[in-house]
Amino acid sequence: MFYPQKMTEIEIIVPEQHVLAVTRVLAEQGVFHQEDARGYLRLEAGLKSADYWREESSAYASLERRILAVMQGLEVDEGEPPPADQVSMIEIEAVRPAVERLEQETRGLIEELTNEQKKLEQLQRYIHQLEPIADMDVEISALRNLRYIFAMLGIMPVDNLERLHTSLARIPFVLLTLRKEGRQAVVLLLGAKCNSDVLERAARSAYLNPLSLPEAYRGTPAQILETIHADIERIQQHITERKGVMTELHDARTQQLRTLLWRVRASRMLTDAIERFGRLRYSYLIVGWVPTVHLENLTKRLHQVSDKILIETNTPKRRSERQDVPVALDNPGILRAFQQLVMTYGRPRYEEIDPTFLIALTFPLLFGAMFGDVGHSLILVLMGGLLVSRKIRALRGMADLGTIIVICGLVATVFGFLYGSVFGMENVLPALWLRPLDDIMQILMTTIGMGVVLLSVGFILGIINACIARDWGRLLFEHNGIAGAVLYLSLVGLVTEVFLNKMLIPPLVLIVLATIAGVIVMFSEALSRWIGGQRPVVEGSIGTYIIQATFEMVDTLISILSNTLSYVRVGAFAVAHGGLSAVVFILAEMAGSTRGIGYWIVVIVGNLFIVGFEGLIVGIQSLRLEYYEFFSKFFTGGGMRYTPLTLLPRTSR
Amino acid sequence: MYSTMLTPETWGALYESADFATLISLLKKTVYGPYLTAVEDKDLTPRRSVYQIKGHLADAYVTVIYMVPESARPLLIQLYRLFEVDNLKAVLRGVATGASWDQVRYVLFPLGSFTVLPAQAMIEEESVGAAVELLRGTPYYSTLSHAMERYTAEQSLFPLEVALDLDYLRELWSDINRLPSRDREQALRIVGSLIDMNNLMWAIRYRVYHHLSEEEIINYTVPFGYRVRDEDIRAIAAGADIAQVVTRIYPDLADVSPLFQEPRSGLPQLELRLQRRIVKQCRAAFIGYPFHIGIPVAYVLLNELEIQDLTVLIEAKSLQVPAEEFQLHLVMS
Repeated sequence: MFYPQKMTEIEIIVPEQHVLAVTRVLAEQGVFHQEDARGYLRLEAGLKSADYWREESSAYASLERRILAVMQGLEVDEGEPPPADQVSMIEIEAVRPAVERLEQETRGLIEELTNEQKKLEQLQRYIHQLEPIADMDVEISALRNLRYIFAMLGIMPVDNLERLHTSLARIPFVLLTLRKEGRQAVVLLLGAKCNSDVLERAARSAYLNPLSLPEAYRGTPAQILETIHADIERIQQHITERKGVMTELHDARTQQLRTLLWRVRASRMLTDAIERFGRLRYSYLIVGWVPTVHLENLTKRLHQVSDKILIETNTPKRRSERQDVPVALDNPGILRAFQQLVMTYGRPRYEEIDPTFLIALTFPLLFGAMFGDVGHSLILVLMGGLLVSRKIRALRGMADLGTIIVICGLVATVFGFLYGSVFGMENVLPALWLRPLDDIMQILMTTIGMGVVLLSVGFILGIINACIARDWGRLLFEHNGIAGAVLYLSLVGLVTEVFLNKMLIPPLVLIVLATIAGVIVMFSEALSRWIGGQRPVVEGSIGTYIIQATFEMVDTLISILSNTLSYVRVGAFAVAHGGLSAVVFILAEMAGSTRGIGYWIVVIVGNLFIVGFEGLIVGIQSLRLEYYEFFSKFFTGGGMRYTPLTLLPRTSR
Repeated sequence: MYSTMLTPETWGALYESADFATLISLLKKTVYGPYLTAVEDKDLTPRRSVYQIKGHLADAYVTVIYMVPESARPLLIQLYRLFEVDNLKAVLRGVATGASWDQVRYVLFPLGSFTVLPAQAMIEEESVGAAVELLRGTPYYSTLSHAMERYTAEQSLFPLEVALDLDYLRELWSDINRLPSRDREQALRIVGSLIDMNNLMWAIRYRVYHHLSEEEIINYTVPFGYRVRDEDIRAIAAGADIAQVVTRIYPDLADVSPLFQEPRSGLPQLELRLQRRIVKQCRAAFIGYPFHIGIPVAYVLLNELEIQDLTVLIEAKSLQVPAEEFQLHLVMS
């Protein structure tokens, strides 16, 4: 929980005859993170080449697409993946005829429906073009055969209208926009017959698609529209009939299609994986990573399917300099929701502390302290609960966010009792601790204290991370290491003594400590190079280095100050919450001083606004404090993603 | 990131490399190394090498897109979409000529998951119309399905490609205009120049190569840009002296007239000169106030032109073209 899962590097040598069975076990177990081993060795002789597997994979991918196309046509969804042990690899030649049969069976019907659909769309387009001139008492054919006038009715992209105007600037013309809908416009282009060449070229190059009614549609626009509406009705009836047949086919073929899809997909996954294996003379080399906890089980399963398999493992220490170890986090249930917040910032590196448990602890605390109100928080809990319950289909993917909202809401409820605030009313509940609006200084100082504690924890974690990474320079000298921590705590001590007038440590001691630590931090780069045996200790001229170090020191001091003062916002938001609620009640009084309907409408809308608007702002501020003030003290991120090989991925390529 | 671009010394070494193999081994020591070593040496054909090094540009774009402020992102995404438009054109050509997926896949720009094109499925379709139907739900469908009427009548991909290009440039222009004022100014200078170059070269080519009429040239070009005005395009379309128009737009461009005496070789030279002007503008963006969109835009465009030059080098070295011939086609040096 405190670190990413321990990983073991695994190298497997498999004889050719067992390669499929072994790959299947690796994919079935869902714990093996594959590395591309194609570059390892190139002594392929008797083995099937990488190209062979690539072609196989490509053929499976093509079949998968064809099956998906049939499924899409019949409106069959993928369904739940079957248990991995019930899915076996399928030969391309065995599956191809089945796919062809299914295509044949459905193609005609799908094509027929698509064509009917297209006809419908075409008729709709005719209607679209004819409606603006429906009241013209002229035969459409007459418009085509004018003696002196060139006329073209059609549809063109709205974006091209201006350009068409420009292109015809040299000749007389009239361009009437009859209707605009989205990015298309129905237009009527008129000009002199003697300029018809120019007009036609301009219209064509502006993508004006002229209305070309079939011969059957004769008469005035109104008469043609009537005929078209009758045709539409007929086509729709036909579509309904064919859809009935399709539903029967859907019911009959659903199971077969799903089974085929999953088998082909599993086959594609396996051939994809094999393509990335290394090749020895008569065997394959598989390289990857497995969480150490699953290693024993995996090797046992591998030995069961191949007695000739050779497995070598290596579990690197966390402090090793390897950057290619994939990072698998293993946080229990409720913490997994907060893991997403960490991931948004960055994936921990293998040797780094996983800050999920810390964010799970501190994020709700910061949120609750800023949002403390029993009523508002319970609304948040309800909203979060709704997301967690997955009852709203469109919001099902937000269950993790729901968990965070529920926890934050519960903590904010506790703070609501501490502040004695319910729906912004400060006179209903007694404050168990203080009322932020009445004790502004106390709440601000308390939250700064909270910041000092959090930042100190950040320093400790930074020191632990540097220790594990054996990065002595960072550990001893840098602003997030021991020297930085001493500088910070000495300055905090001095400020505390000045403001609170309490002498815990003599100020002189603190000043000496801060000065020494400050000098060390200032020259941390040179000291790190010195301790790491890198020469020269100072790159470039000493003068430039000192100027640079001085500026960096100033930056460090400003950061220390701003990082700490940043936590004032926690108190400030608690105060603002009270203030905002007071404003709602003032507005409500203005809307209805007799506490009539106007009063309650403003109170309800105002409270909903506070829950939504302030909830969002407070969430962002809490995240900001976590990311910029807290994480920056110890967390680097940039770990490699752990993507285990799976046999049945839910989403297709 | 700018520092990862190839230095003049590296360019010198690449330029002097004896053959294609040496060139690739030198490139493997640069920022392009990881992209080239991902493929076995025996598979590293010139085409595959170009495909691999484009991976670096794709990564550069994705990094920059995520790095820039929200307001600048649409423009960078739109700039990146140019490769998707090019991929779409390549796929349509593949469909029209009956090419296989293997013939087409390495011609495409490696956009990874940053694309909405079902490229392989489109290639496997039997007709351009069916391939276009697969684009339903993408931003390209409306443009292409409307232009399909002309494709069906003319059996030429030209109207489809022109429609895609015009649509792309209009979107790019509106993205520039949506930027905050300081960013807009910077983007206009660089991206506007890019639009200028395309628009001007289109107008000239339509007249010189395709012999299109005035109204067609106007309809196939756009009326906006940084230095190129609509009057310039209309003048070219109306038959004005092209050299004079070009000189009026770019007074600092010397000896323009001879380029139009032999357009087959002259026009690529003109395009190269305009590209070099863009390189200068991109480099200038890195001087002075640093917090504007010009910097990420210039960075990705310089990367793009760097890859264009590397493509020239790769092809030249693999075909053993002498230096005096291929150096005429290099933009960055």
